[in-house]
Amino acid sequence: MESVLPEGKWARAGIVGSTALKVGLREVQHKVKRPFMSLERQQADKLDTDDKNAELIFNALTQLRGTALKVAQMLSMEVEILPERYRKELEKSFHQVPPLNRVLVRKAIQEQLGQPPEYLFTSFNDQAFAAASLGQVHYATLQDGIAVAVKIQYPGIHVAMKNDMKLMRKLAPNLPNPQMVLQSLEEVGARLQEEVDYAHEAATTQWFAEHLKIEGIHIPQVYPKFSAARILTTELMGGQHLDAWLATNPSQEARNRAAQSLYDMMVYSVRELKRLHVDPNPGNYLFHADGSVSLIDFGCTKQFSAEFIHILPQLLKAFLEEDVEAILAAYRILGMDHKPTTEHWYQEVLRPFAHWVALPLQTESFDFGQHQDYTSNAREIIQRLSQNTKYLPKRIPLKRAIGFPIY
Amino acid sequence: MKINEQDKQLTKVRILVAAVDVITIRGFKNATMREIAKEAKVGDATIYNYFPTKEKLLYGYCEYVQQQVMQELKDISNFHEYSVQEQLQQLVETTLQIWLPAREFLQQVFELSFGAPLVGFTHLEETKRLFTAMVVDILDAAIEAGELPEQPYRELLPRLFWDYANGILAYWLKDNSEGFANTTQVIDRSMEIIAAILQTGMVGKLLDLVSFLFRTHIMTHTEVLKSLSQAPDLVASKRRFMEGK
Repeated sequence: MESVLPEGKWARAGIVGSTALKVGLREVQHKVKRPFMSLERQQADKLDTDDKNAELIFNALTQLRGTALKVAQMLSMEVEILPERYRKELEKSFHQVPPLNRVLVRKAIQEQLGQPPEYLFTSFNDQAFAAASLGQVHYATLQDGIAVAVKIQYPGIHVAMKNDMKLMRKLAPNLPNPQMVLQSLEEVGARLQEEVDYAHEAATTQWFAEHLKIEGIHIPQVYPKFSAARILTTELMGGQHLDAWLATNPSQEARNRAAQSLYDMMVYSVRELKRLHVDPNPGNYLFHADGSVSLIDFGCTKQFSAEFIHILPQLLKAFLEEDVEAILAAYRILGMDHKPTTEHWYQEVLRPFAHWVALPLQTESFDFGQHQDYTSNAREIIQRLSQNTKYLPKRIPLKRAIGFPIY
Repeated sequence: MKINEQDKQLTKVRILVAAVDVITIRGFKNATMREIAKEAKVGDATIYNYFPTKEKLLYGYCEYVQQQVMQELKDISNFHEYSVQEQLQQLVETTLQIWLPAREFLQQVFELSFGAPLVGFTHLEETKRLFTAMVVDILDAAIEAGELPEQPYRELLPRLFWDYANGILAYWLKDNSEGFANTTQVIDRSMEIIAAILQTGMVGKLLDLVSFLFRTHIMTHTEVLKSLSQAPDLVASKRRFMEGK
């Protein structure tokens, strides 16, 4: 860690407070200037303001690190609520996690497992090999020679988190779409609490290892003796992250196998297990030479209601058939209402969305290489739809409502 | 029968541990030497051979903690590979870890020592010596290895670090966050600053500045004061005051 991290709740409040103030000032400046500008200039200026706001907010988030980082990651994936410019800034934060030094690593292990690492493991590498959400991962070997990955959480991060969430809420009114950001923050907060609970993650990982038996998908084994609320020891999976794997130039066969395995996993999870791995961070998938994929980090999973599982095929079918009444009826059951449902809205908003969702389902195989803009197109389509979506009291976020994550 | 040195040492530790238990439960004022002797299973008279007063017990335990800290650090096999920042941080963290079972006892030590600073300072002299010796070792090694630049006022640094460590202990005693998470954060973050200060020789630079300002300006101020005290108006009003007008 090169830079000095701000201490304590008050210092943190200072950062958020001053950022909220600065963003507010920019908005005011922007509004004051606006009446005297031509339309083009106005739009250019709005973009400029967005840019500066994004930068300010991003600076505040990186000063908070920890929780804020996580929130930034999650918000940046909730594509529908933030404009492109904010998202770009937030995405920068993905790989910037302050490392734990050897003292903290030792302390965390001593506190959680009762003994320092040299007593527990035959070997323990005190330099992390990967950053995890809110922690980092170390190589180690167990007494019987098994190579494991030991995930260690920042000591005390769970305590700081609740305070941070309060502060994040303070910042929310200055973002575009404040209502949705606030709603999202609540969901994010709940998911974060789940994510810092490694005991929960251990149980979930074991559950998936037992139930998700899909050809080409591997799930690591958990070692409960070396795991606790803030430490998780699992089998070392090997494999490479997507970028690195692609750089090895895998065969088309291996690529197809990887994609098919992931798709099978998704459909099987939703349909059969009613439970899905929902942390689509590219870092959570490890690709092997033969195209099989290891799934790691089960900190964040989503359980689906039987009702949802029942509605989903009907919804997809309605999308395929472009049956607007059936689509809206299915949405209402899921807790989403759409008004106004004018012909214009249907043509401009819902239809492109239905077309987008149904596109890969219409053919035997779908080549994303030939539809390279498929995922990038989604952002605008979803954002337009979400602006017209009214969530009924029991909200199911859109991302999960359509059955698979977008990023 | 001659009691050998090792047995003696064991008895001493047993008495200290008993003292912590009794003082934690009964409070320093109410605890008696007799109770402590009984708890340690030594004779009423024997305890005085080891610790002539209750204060000696209190501060004897502080020294014992420092010895344990030293041992604990020696047991970390790759401690010499740690950066100077990590070594100092480990020193503070280990101190807390060793104190943890006797945290309430430490509370009493703090009340007694820092409530009446002079008393506390003289009694804690040995503890301080043990602590600063470790800091000296760590700093010397880092300077020798070229990890840190040569530090001006080098003899001052271990004493400053001792004050810092006591500040951390005081913070920890007031910390009611789960698992003392806040203390961990404060240590981690303040240690970054300390490392930066050592890296840049900031203490020396600051002292140079203060010394410059003192030499250059305090003298001028004394001149001003002198002229003030001899100003005619002031002299006149002073005389009036003294004469009771």
